[in-house]
Amino acid sequence: MQGQNQQQAYDRGITIFSPDGRLYQVEYAREAVKRGSASVGIRTPDGVVLAAERRTRSPLMERDSVEKLHKIDDHVGIASAGHVADARQLIDVARRQSQVNQLRYGEPVGVETLTKHVTDHIQQYTQTGGARPFGVALLVGGVENDGTPRLYETDPSGTPYEWKAVAIGGNREDIQRRLEEEYDDALSLGEGVDLALESLAEATEDGFPAEGIAVSTVPTETGSVESLSTDEIGERLEALDLLAEEDEGDAE
Amino acid sequence: MMDADNPYDPEIAPSDWGEHAGEDQENVNKTGTTTVGIATDAGVVIATDRRASLAGRFVSNKKVVKVEEIHPSAAMTLVGSVGGAQSFISSLRAEVNLYEARRGEEMSMTALSTLAGNFARGGPYFAINPILGGVDEDGSHVFSIDPAGGVMKDDYTVTGSGMQVAYGYLEQSWHDDMSMSEAKQAAAKAVISAAERDTGSGNGLVLCEVTEGDVSITEYDDFPNPEEV
Repeated sequence: MQGQNQQQAYDRGITIFSPDGRLYQVEYAREAVKRGSASVGIRTPDGVVLAAERRTRSPLMERDSVEKLHKIDDHVGIASAGHVADARQLIDVARRQSQVNQLRYGEPVGVETLTKHVTDHIQQYTQTGGARPFGVALLVGGVENDGTPRLYETDPSGTPYEWKAVAIGGNREDIQRRLEEEYDDALSLGEGVDLALESLAEATEDGFPAEGIAVSTVPTETGSVESLSTDEIGERLEALDLLAEEDEGDAE
Repeated sequence: MMDADNPYDPEIAPSDWGEHAGEDQENVNKTGTTTVGIATDAGVVIATDRRASLAGRFVSNKKVVKVEEIHPSAAMTLVGSVGGAQSFISSLRAEVNLYEARRGEEMSMTALSTLAGNFARGGPYFAINPILGGVDEDGSHVFSIDPAGGVMKDDYTVTGSGMQVAYGYLEQSWHDDMSMSEAKQAAAKAVISAAERDTGSGNGLVLCEVTEGDVSITEYDDFPNPEEV
């Protein structure tokens, strides 16, 4: 009986490798990310776009309470997919580190530096007894001190990846395929927003209501996170023929 | 021991480091010192004397080099307690190296001066008043850092017990388009003048030139002819 417990231990304890060298709990955490609604990040020469689908369970729920895009510091935003509560913890880690960097060095934190701080934190939860991994993936988008736009992904293993354009969450493959087909190094920021909306729409049949999408940009010109208003998003969706009536397509 | 979340302390230091520092003041070596920093368009010049003393009464060393490289494009002077200044410099150098290794880029002078001010205020150092001079993509910078962590940027600055004499010379000779060679001569003359009258300063000169990616330090056992430095 004890032998049986031992055999299964790698399925439960995250600090235990399976015989073929896998960490099942980390892989299960990746599944949790796939269950979340999608987020997309696109890097253009003029700045970074972050966009996310905001799904509500009921028309009685306030859309604004579904937070998928988060301002971290003036020059960095994060989009999440997966467990919202887990994301919130990482968001706070990132916000604190941004201010620690400002206090320590008198300068805004670099996007790469910030991402690696967050992924180092995530990694600790894949190696610590009694803990579980973060069931969330993040897109970290921002503009460096010298005006360079950067876009990173974090995954539940704690590995950072840098991207030109990337999707996380549900229907990731379809959205990513669309990004790979349409991405161009010379996109304007506005074209980047449109591509983000079009690629997110890969996962739906009827498009979205304007309230069902959140979009933020970090333009290189200002280096500051800016959120698009619902009206602006509605206009863009309409122009792209992706505007659905409010609460349609929310059945899932 | 390691607390990367505390911006006021060095990341690599035991928590009780420096707990007893500053006790037995009579036997603490002090640099007394005159250190001068001048920022020019072409780089930074730093000049110091070479004397260490006990309570300003006894010359305990005549060959101190009171300016050290702490970054590929920056140098700092040792002013005040020798032990405090040495550990301050070695900690800053470790932080500079860590920063570069982690981020793949060198600290800017804003970052370095902010960090130095934080350490002077919150770290386990005591009784230091250095000059920091360096070059980054925004140009040449000199800062004076006081023992409470005050960081002040200037075109030229002096710290140490001979500062009044050195400032007297610099107020007359400094102008805003100095060449490196004019700055070297002015800095040398300011230190040599101070050494004539300040009992905490003397025993020769060290000149340091900082340009992008290069810190070069020249030691003189006696005072050279300042026209020829």
